[in-house]
Amino acid sequence: MFESAFRLFFKYEPLVFEQGQFVLGATRSMWLVALAAIAAALYVAWTYWQLRAIESRPRAILLATRIALLLVLIVALLRPMLLLRVAVPQQNVVGVLIDDSRSMQVADEGSGTRADYVRSQIDGEGAPLLDALNRRFVTRVFRFSSSAERLRAAGDLTFQGTATRIGDAIARAREELSGLPVAGLVVLTDGADNADTTLDQPIAALRAEGLPVFAVGVGRERLSRDVEITRVETPRRVLRGASLVVDVVVTQSGYAGRTVPIVVEEGGRTIAMQDVTLPPDGEARTVKVRFKAADAGVRTFRFSLPEQDGEEVVRNNQREALIDVRDTNERIILAEGEPRPEAKFIRQATEDDDQVSVVLLLRTAAATANAPDKFLRLGVESPDELQFGFPTTREELFRYRGLIIGSFEAAAFTPEQQRMIEDFVAVRGGGLLVLGGAGSLGEGGWAGTPLSNALPIAISGGVREPIMPPIELTVRPTPLGAGHPAVQIADTEAAAAGKWEQLPTLFSVNEAPVSALKPGASLLLDGRDRNNRRHVVLAFQRYGRGKSLVLAVQDSWLWRMHASMPVEDTTHRYFWQRLVRWLVDGVPDPTTVTVAPEVVEPGEPVTITAELFDREFRGINDARVQAHVTAPSGRTETVALDWTIERDGEYRGRFTPAENGIYRIVVDGVRASGELTGTGDAHVRVGPSDAEYFDAGMRASLLRRLSEETGGRFFRSSDTALLADAISFSGRGVTVVEERDLWDMPIVLLVVVGLMAAEWLTRRRWGLA
Amino acid sequence: MKPGVRRAVALLAAAACVGGTALAQRGSRSWSSSENQPYDGRFVFVRMSYPTMIGMGFGRQGAPWAHDYPVGEANFLRILTAVSNVHANLDGTNVLGFEDPEIFRFPVIYLVEPGYWELSETGVETLRAYLQKGGFLIVDDFPYWAWPQFELQMRRVFPDLQWFDLDVTHPIFHTFFDIETLDIVPAYPALGDRPIFRALFADNDPSGRMYVIANYQNDLSEFWEFSEWGFYAIEATNEAYKVGVNQFIYGLTR
Repeated sequence: MFESAFRLFFKYEPLVFEQGQFVLGATRSMWLVALAAIAAALYVAWTYWQLRAIESRPRAILLATRIALLLVLIVALLRPMLLLRVAVPQQNVVGVLIDDSRSMQVADEGSGTRADYVRSQIDGEGAPLLDALNRRFVTRVFRFSSSAERLRAAGDLTFQGTATRIGDAIARAREELSGLPVAGLVVLTDGADNADTTLDQPIAALRAEGLPVFAVGVGRERLSRDVEITRVETPRRVLRGASLVVDVVVTQSGYAGRTVPIVVEEGGRTIAMQDVTLPPDGEARTVKVRFKAADAGVRTFRFSLPEQDGEEVVRNNQREALIDVRDTNERIILAEGEPRPEAKFIRQATEDDDQVSVVLLLRTAAATANAPDKFLRLGVESPDELQFGFPTTREELFRYRGLIIGSFEAAAFTPEQQRMIEDFVAVRGGGLLVLGGAGSLGEGGWAGTPLSNALPIAISGGVREPIMPPIELTVRPTPLGAGHPAVQIADTEAAAAGKWEQLPTLFSVNEAPVSALKPGASLLLDGRDRNNRRHVVLAFQRYGRGKSLVLAVQDSWLWRMHASMPVEDTTHRYFWQRLVRWLVDGVPDPTTVTVAPEVVEPGEPVTITAELFDREFRGINDARVQAHVTAPSGRTETVALDWTIERDGEYRGRFTPAENGIYRIVVDGVRASGELTGTGDAHVRVGPSDAEYFDAGMRASLLRRLSEETGGRFFRSSDTALLADAISFSGRGVTVVEERDLWDMPIVLLVVVGLMAAEWLTRRRWGLA
Repeated sequence: MKPGVRRAVALLAAAACVGGTALAQRGSRSWSSSENQPYDGRFVFVRMSYPTMIGMGFGRQGAPWAHDYPVGEANFLRILTAVSNVHANLDGTNVLGFEDPEIFRFPVIYLVEPGYWELSETGVETLRAYLQKGGFLIVDDFPYWAWPQFELQMRRVFPDLQWFDLDVTHPIFHTFFDIETLDIVPAYPALGDRPIFRALFADNDPSGRMYVIANYQNDLSEFWEFSEWGFYAIEATNEAYKVGVNQFIYGLTR
């Protein structure tokens, strides 16, 4: 409509003005005529200025219209024109890339599917888009999804591709058309690209080559009726029995305000259900879904929303997550500097968790001139475990996955031990938790030590005097903490909210105001004193490969013992079990294996990345490393992994699965010395992917960027009439220069007539005719 | 010299020191029955009081629950803090009743003369909750004839739990000091035969968590109180301190 109206007045489409170069084509004689006209205009102005008999207002109007008229005529005499580089018909090639993926089956293109639209544009006699191109260009048609290939006949399109990789398709077309005079690439797609890489690289290559892309966006940008589980964030590995709090992101359109259940299933059993009120159209809502990983093994958890009435895409109502539920025992040192109830109750809270062992190293007597520190050890596996107190070697310390330090002053540790604690977090990737107490944090002299670097709060500030009474704190979760897996005291968030209100106050003897939080640290629990000042109770931060936490109170055991707490109350046990599990969650083994992608179709390559460290967590670079890949059928293959050189201890290799099911990958290695490295494993799920159905709306922004940054133009499917023209005027390929006169545009005549009419009306108004 | 021997020597020296110090302080009554200490996170010695019938007071020290009070715990606290790293409140001790919810702030409580002890229904409920949640009760100054009354009261608290006689291998005898023998000389003959350490365990599991330890036919605090007078042999006094230190540290850590 706009294009037609524009053309009515301006003779050409806007595209011509965009692509053309404006010049004046007047000959020398015409310039002389123009100068004469300008002189005449000046004379006219002068004569009008002399006409004192006419009122000033009509005189000004008459003067303006006359001068404007003369200027229009002068410009027209100078022969304005547009120079266009137009592709020579049938001398140029256009690559046409057609999206053959499953998302093209979405029925949001008029009354049919996106695939129907594509077929109507390229198939059979009178196919408008392809015919228009064929009239001017030699076309080469490709289809693409996860890979790209030449399309021999429109009937070969299946729209069953399991992925959309526009970048790969463009690279394939460029390769195929190299050496030919290519005027541009036409990409018919919904833009639902789900490749691992961005389009930055392909765009840069196209720009360098000067090859424009003309993308045709098929489908609507937002589905009118759809609910979708956009994302599920689950850990890769958890301990058996772990209570998970998983973020499920839900988006929708057309069902705002409706309450629907998110169902979690494992092995065909429903294990959790969480209602969610659907957000406004196009907005995302993150829902915390809680469930338990009860059984060990590699488990597939399915998250789903029920199909809604009239929903356009149902396949995006579910997502699956592969979680390695490990049946193991994670060992944690609880180093406590004085006999006090906190350590006793932590052990009691965690003793019935068979996945976690808290080994208590309790200093019952401090060293004197005649005797070393005296320790009580509880939960040790052998008589020699920690027999000399806190570990003195990295190898000994790094065997543990978590470290809790109680009221233990810095002076009790050697400088090397203090550095080891920092490296336990930063290098080994362990979890460190420092408890409050008279010997902790700044009050324990830890300011300025390597450990203080790792902590989420700055302890370089003031310290409390030992004689000061403790600060009584009413503890509550922060908004972040309320849904955080480390701070769970009940099975549901609602139940937890009620419990927080009933918990007794705790006490702190450490200076830990909220202002002490380091940048990047997260506050999970805060406490308000009697003056309503906020203090840090529980905070954490990532540090190097690991994480560190501070629980700046001395008596969380009151949540168990306090008179107001019923005997059967589980708050304290819940709190410590979840906190301790989270402390060791994700702590790496000496050998870790990751795969990318974690879900693939048969025939798609999988990259295996292994990180190998020795017992002191130094990267191993001299090993011969192999991945033993076991297919679901039991067939095995061995893949050699090579050191990447980029990072110490990092090895990489690839394999291509052929069977549907879960593949297991076990990595081991042999060092140059003959010593065996550790082993690690990972899993990859191979099978049909529903990735195409997620975020399935047409991505206009992506396609517009692809077009405009390469010098092309983005078209919507409803408006492709000028596609062939746009390619013709792009200046690529074999072109000729065409002149398009502008002086005879209808708008020029209209302006002339309008100015003359204005003058006539002015004369009539003031009786000057 | 082995560290353990060193500590034993240190213990004796500390005991002698306590004796002298306590003697010196008797005039000032710094360890008299002061106000209870407010909770501040430090260890506080908590003596349990209980009502007794009129006329049952003992001339020297009043009510049965107050035997050896306050000198016994004062001396004991000095030893405890001298030999161990227990961060204790030395400004005073607490006396609490079994119905007092304040006991839940102190995970170890101490009871004497259980032959005169009788719990109210509220006391039964409170003590049961206290022990089930993680508290620990040490019963001392326990003559032979007191057992039936004590057992009767404890049966009201835990009808299904039974008493176990501990031998020297139990961890409570090795938590801090290594007690090598339980062949301990009682403070005075009226207590009965040889001391027996009896314990009550959660779920009747002797390898599990201990709720109560009863120093049956024993009176550790008698040794503690009179360690300043030299009434008892240093060896015996020393053993009483060692057993007491172990019991309190056990209660704080298990």
